Amino acid sequence: MGENKQFKRALIGAACTLAFAAAGTAHAANWLMLQGTEDPGAAARANVWGFIQAKYEKDFSDPNATGGFVPAKLLGPELDAQDGFNINRARIGVRGTGFPLDSRINYFVLLEMGNNGITHGNGAFARLTDASVTLNYIPGARVRAGLFKTPGSEEGLQAIHVFDYINFTEMTNGLLLERFPNKGFTGCTGAIVTAPVTCSATTGNVGPYTEAQLQGGAGLNRFNSPVGAFRDVGVQVFDAFDVGNDWEVSYAAMIGNGNGIEFSNSDGEYDKYLYLSAEKKFGGAGAKSEGLKFFAWGQQGKRLLDLTNDTTANATSYDRDRAGLGVKYMKKPFRVTAEYVTADGMIWTGPDKPNFYFTNNTAHGNGADAKASGWYVEGGWYIPNTKWELDARFDTMTRLEDRINEHQFDKWTLGVQYHFNPKTRVTLNYEMRDFECTVAGAVCTAVNNNLKGVDDKIGVQLTAIF
Amino acid sequence: MFKHLRSIFLVTSSLLLVSAAAPALSAGQGGPEYKYVLHISDMDPSKQELILNNAQNVLDAYPPGEVEVEIVAYGPGLRLMFADNVNAKRLDSLAQSGVKFSACGNTIKGMTKLMGEAPKMNPTAGVVPGGIIRIGELVHQGYIYIKP
Repeated sequence: MGENKQFKRALIGAACTLAFAAAGTAHAANWLMLQGTEDPGAAARANVWGFIQAKYEKDFSDPNATGGFVPAKLLGPELDAQDGFNINRARIGVRGTGFPLDSRINYFVLLEMGNNGITHGNGAFARLTDASVTLNYIPGARVRAGLFKTPGSEEGLQAIHVFDYINFTEMTNGLLLERFPNKGFTGCTGAIVTAPVTCSATTGNVGPYTEAQLQGGAGLNRFNSPVGAFRDVGVQVFDAFDVGNDWEVSYAAMIGNGNGIEFSNSDGEYDKYLYLSAEKKFGGAGAKSEGLKFFAWGQQGKRLLDLTNDTTANATSYDRDRAGLGVKYMKKPFRVTAEYVTADGMIWTGPDKPNFYFTNNTAHGNGADAKASGWYVEGGWYIPNTKWELDARFDTMTRLEDRINEHQFDKWTLGVQYHFNPKTRVTLNYEMRDFECTVAGAVCTAVNNNLKGVDDKIGVQLTAIF
Repeated sequence: MFKHLRSIFLVTSSLLLVSAAAPALSAGQGGPEYKYVLHISDMDPSKQELILNNAQNVLDAYPPGEVEVEIVAYGPGLRLMFADNVNAKRLDSLAQSGVKFSACGNTIKGMTKLMGEAPKMNPTAGVVPGGIIRIGELVHQGYIYIKP
């Protein structure tokens, strides 16, 4: 059922995009073109660039009644503390044309050395996040091959170093920043923690852990694989068209392994991606372009998941479909963005339960074929004649929809940014969070014993682009 | 006496005619007083925007018709005058304002050999046999040489 429905929704969204385009205008940067192409006739052979993001965060959440913490109350990727400094991103890349006389071929390479879900846990100090070549030979159909960002939501597709907030929305973090199940069922035997931790082979739960247990080395992040980082290895056909009256229409169609930034395709299935946008350009160039953009997208894939608590490898294939649409307006001094996303299948519920989060407990339902949705609205005000910017965002996500353990995550983020120069800024965010299990009953009562303590979070991040 | 007066009248009229014609003759032969040749041969893409900005600034500094600007490109800088260059519209606009673009024929030959096909040039660019020769000729004619 879900397989065709998500794509139909994406196509309907695309049609609406075009309809809206006929009626009006707006802009944000064209990330397909900015990330996949170079300026023809004016690109370097090898342009070295990168950025560093260093931050401090503090989470004010309270432990549960027995002093235990769940992932939502801790800072990633380690999930063992409530405050601290981190180099959450440190990336260096090279991009250009390779053979500058021929503008028809360009490349893009990027390496991540920061401490985040991409690099955490795999033992390497660096991880390749992008390595692609674009062939610009066929008018209207550029071909990009390799590892790169998949065409999808604005929050995921845009360059993270110009993102106006420290953390993603709950919707993007929970539904789009994919976590991949471990290859085998993950229990918690051999854990170094002791009572009162609730952990057994039949539940597969890990934690909650007390502060002492976390300081003693207990780990709540049990994933073996890096996050998907909104990327895939595959091939994409895309282009942008000037259709007159300052309108630009862009499209992208991609097929990929469906394995994030890792290179295997062990299930033999391929993810498909479709994207369409229409944008009225007001002016500007590059990441700071101004205008009004409407966009719609869809992603369709399958994932292997082993839910049985034994040593037998018997993974089953489940659908993973995502779709969304949105609008972004950018004309200084104002910016407004709104997105809506739906998710069908492979709804994860926590890093402490890499496989079990799909749960084999029929009383809780099965996240492997559950549904979720979310949306956000955000706005920014670039205070004229100053270097200051004020930002505000409301986001909400509902996961395990219509299940007895349906969760809702609401969050307000208030932000201030100071731009030292066009490439260096400091961002201050204050998050007000309200997370709960929304269905009356024993299951949600137990969940809310932990979620009710989730409180506000504050963060300061310095971004330097070079 | 009248005979002398007639001679004086004829000489005076001739002198007046010659002096009136002299400025017109001078203008037709000399052109604008200020002439600039801008040179680009760099691989650095930022030099493309810089040279176009320079050309625009020079045009803006003088009344229309009182300055001549020619941009000569050779070597890697010839990319500025490729048909698909991202700055193609700016070249067109500057050309309509009177800026002349000259592309080095020697460089085109070299690029053709390297690429296996001739590069497609912006139609506003004229081809000169040698870019560096063209620059030398223009400097010899009194052009001010600028290399951003």
